[in-house]
Amino acid sequence: MKKKVRLNVNGTVHTVSVDVEEPLLWVLRDVLGLTGTKFGCGEGSCGACAVLIDDKVYQSCVLAAGDVAAGERIVTIEGLGSGDELSALQSAFIEHTAFGCGYCTPGMIITATALLKENPNPTPRQIVDFMNDNLCRCASYPSIVKAIESAAGKSPKGGGRDPR
Amino acid sequence: MTLDRRQFIKLASGSLVYGFALACSDDPRVDVGQPAKETTVPKKRLISHAEIYFVDYTEWFFIHSDGTVTVHTGRIELGQGLKTVISNVVSQGLDIPPDAIEIVMGDTARCPDDGPTEGSSATRIVGWGHWSACARIREDLQRRAAEALRCPADQLTYSGSVISRRGKPEQRVSISELVNDDGTVRLATVDYHEARKHNPPYVDRKTAAVNARAIVTGSLQYTGDLFAGQCRYGAYLVPPYHVHLSTLEAVDLEAARRVPGVVAAQRSWRSAFVVADRYTTVQKGLEAMNPVWRAPQRSKTLDREVEIRAGASLVKTVEDAGDPAAGLAQSAVTLSETYITQYASQTPIETETAIARDEDGQLVVWASTQAPFKARPQIAERTGVPAEQVRVISMPVGGGFGVKVGTTAPAEAAEFARAAGGTVKHVYGREYQFVCLARYKEAVLADITSGVGPDGKLVVRTLDLHQDEGFGSAGTYKIPNVSTRLFNTDMPARHATMRGTSFVQTGFAVESHTDMLAEAAGLDPVAFRRLNLFTPSFGPLLDACCEMLGYGQVELPPDHGIGFAICHHGGRQLGAVGAEVSVNRSSGVVRVERLAGAFDIGVVVNINTLTANTNGAMIWGLGFALFEEVALDGHTAYTRGFDAYRIPRFSDVPPIQLAFFNNETIDQMPRGCGELPVIPTVGAISNAVYRAIGVRFYELPLTPERVLGALVNQSPGA
Repeated sequence: MKKKVRLNVNGTVHTVSVDVEEPLLWVLRDVLGLTGTKFGCGEGSCGACAVLIDDKVYQSCVLAAGDVAAGERIVTIEGLGSGDELSALQSAFIEHTAFGCGYCTPGMIITATALLKENPNPTPRQIVDFMNDNLCRCASYPSIVKAIESAAGKSPKGGGRDPR
Repeated sequence: MTLDRRQFIKLASGSLVYGFALACSDDPRVDVGQPAKETTVPKKRLISHAEIYFVDYTEWFFIHSDGTVTVHTGRIELGQGLKTVISNVVSQGLDIPPDAIEIVMGDTARCPDDGPTEGSSATRIVGWGHWSACARIREDLQRRAAEALRCPADQLTYSGSVISRRGKPEQRVSISELVNDDGTVRLATVDYHEARKHNPPYVDRKTAAVNARAIVTGSLQYTGDLFAGQCRYGAYLVPPYHVHLSTLEAVDLEAARRVPGVVAAQRSWRSAFVVADRYTTVQKGLEAMNPVWRAPQRSKTLDREVEIRAGASLVKTVEDAGDPAAGLAQSAVTLSETYITQYASQTPIETETAIARDEDGQLVVWASTQAPFKARPQIAERTGVPAEQVRVISMPVGGGFGVKVGTTAPAEAAEFARAAGGTVKHVYGREYQFVCLARYKEAVLADITSGVGPDGKLVVRTLDLHQDEGFGSAGTYKIPNVSTRLFNTDMPARHATMRGTSFVQTGFAVESHTDMLAEAAGLDPVAFRRLNLFTPSFGPLLDACCEMLGYGQVELPPDHGIGFAICHHGGRQLGAVGAEVSVNRSSGVVRVERLAGAFDIGVVVNINTLTANTNGAMIWGLGFALFEEVALDGHTAYTRGFDAYRIPRFSDVPPIQLAFFNNETIDQMPRGCGELPVIPTVGAISNAVYRAIGVRFYELPLTPERVLGALVNQSPGA
């Protein structure tokens, strides 16, 4: 069923006409053109499509667009950092070569952003526990953990622009 | 549409084009389109082989009048860091900044066909091919500068893409000023080896990966990111059985066409497909089809070992030396064993993806492919469009691991575009990715027999490998009497190449067997290996692994064990891995506590991308050893999603220590390391489990169920 939906994405409110059952992932990608959020499995089990909604992690491939409330703040990888300035996590991922092909990276950085909001100084164990549902087939796990450790505690640059 | 090189060079006006070069007899080059095939040369001879096979990349090298450079390769970037490697070597080779280099990859209309991106050969062949090209170009430019400045070439220095006279800096010329009137130059007189003497050696400057910023900002465009909101989607039915063995008996195409948004529904190949306006609409169209499938004719139950043996046919003898029968008679200790492995799936996070557009009978296909030039004839065959009217453009690949060498997504997308018109995107669903063509890393059965003399030296080995892949070697050890034979099989699932190819399965068998032989001969597994090494270059690798793990130096807790394995890949790359594991006797869970890897792989071009790759490859070995398995029988595969197919996660990964060596020198060049570390990691983990609990596993993966089963059968006190 098509319906008009108001989506607050990266601080901009979009009114879009979508099938309310359509996963948010495809609305972000094909309606709003935000292709940084990736399709990996369509079953909510790999983390490539992770987005933040009010600072919590959601798998956008299994979240119906119609289920996102108008006031909720969606943040995608395109919404991190500010202007040309990268977020501390983004910089740390570069510094530690925390990726191979890079396809899972947006989901990794989004998830790690939520972790650092919740727990600015996580232990390696806490990082592993929080990140464990995000899959990286290049298996860049060791350097992702290092990147998150190194970004933790640094002054947060971004982590989602405040839309208000 | 498709340009030949001559036309292409005409387009690049104002550029210095290193075209039409003739190679000297000792130039490291082979013809474009015929890269060296490892399979045709006996692997053991390659270890100290000084020959280098390159495409002559000077023919595809452009120096523009603004000083920027464009280089071309038909190979692609899939996370292994090839783009970073090329950027590093060209930047250093010509002393120009990285941002002055444009790298065009995987476009059949613009690039040479320098082979598929497989076999851990891209850094060696494409990376070093560009280093070689730069050395020759730089030498050539120096000679041109000497003419232009009227001074001897040995009085010139080259710095920052400017050539100047030593002590007289006002006498200078930039490389872009050396463009010929006709824009081309002949390179026939410059030899790589001569050029190399005059140019500084390569030094790793440890730069960040080239695509890093685009990756972390989500702006790197993979295939599926093109034409967002501006194209249709298409997909095939997900078959309930092995598709090549089953029949689609009935399908309601009309019902699919009635779904709003569906623009085409057709039977094709062995199945049927739908094209629609949205990704989710395609799924609705497929659901409406109500397909009726007939199950495969062959038996549903599948006893892997029985059926592999029943369908085995001898293909070739790959190694044949001495007299194995006599060797067995001479041996003090002999051991015969059989090892078997599981089916596994490459499972890139980016599923196979392609986009096709029909432009008046000419097809443009953007694809996540490791082999754009291989995709072209496949597209031609599926659509009837002549291959020369098909252009394939490979985008950055979100993980390939072998499955995207023979990906069918480009041909299918092309078929959709022909059927529906416009631009059609084909993104494999995860289930389709697992089962679409029943192609997996194959189950390999290895019968292995060895004999050891009273001095602890290997006298004989026979190895019968049952697999569909054409590689196989027992050549990690020095053994006078050897027979290695390959048998093809007739199994319901089909073979697809996957990182490490069948060296992974063979390595598991050979290295497990080597530990059991050592025990039978009363020797420590490391000491036994040292006695029998194929090349002494393995010695420092074993030393490094022992040292990193403190082997023999520290007492391990109960149910912990350390194991080792060695291997070579393609004869050029040598590796050793040590693993410490713990086994929980009540849950059966094997945990890898530490990994240490040492690899002799030649010049390191970029330690950052190399480390990322090597860590990843060792974690691949861990996954294959402990849990990756596709469950299947004669009719179908049951593993159809991440819930059933467990790949390594954050919590599985132990601390990993690495050491890189360049002892087994083949000239000054990198030798590749993309697959090598997978191979010994599997054997090392299995050997460590044996040391921890005294149980030898002849089958993978080492799941808790399998480990518990073995522990129950273990006699008390064993």
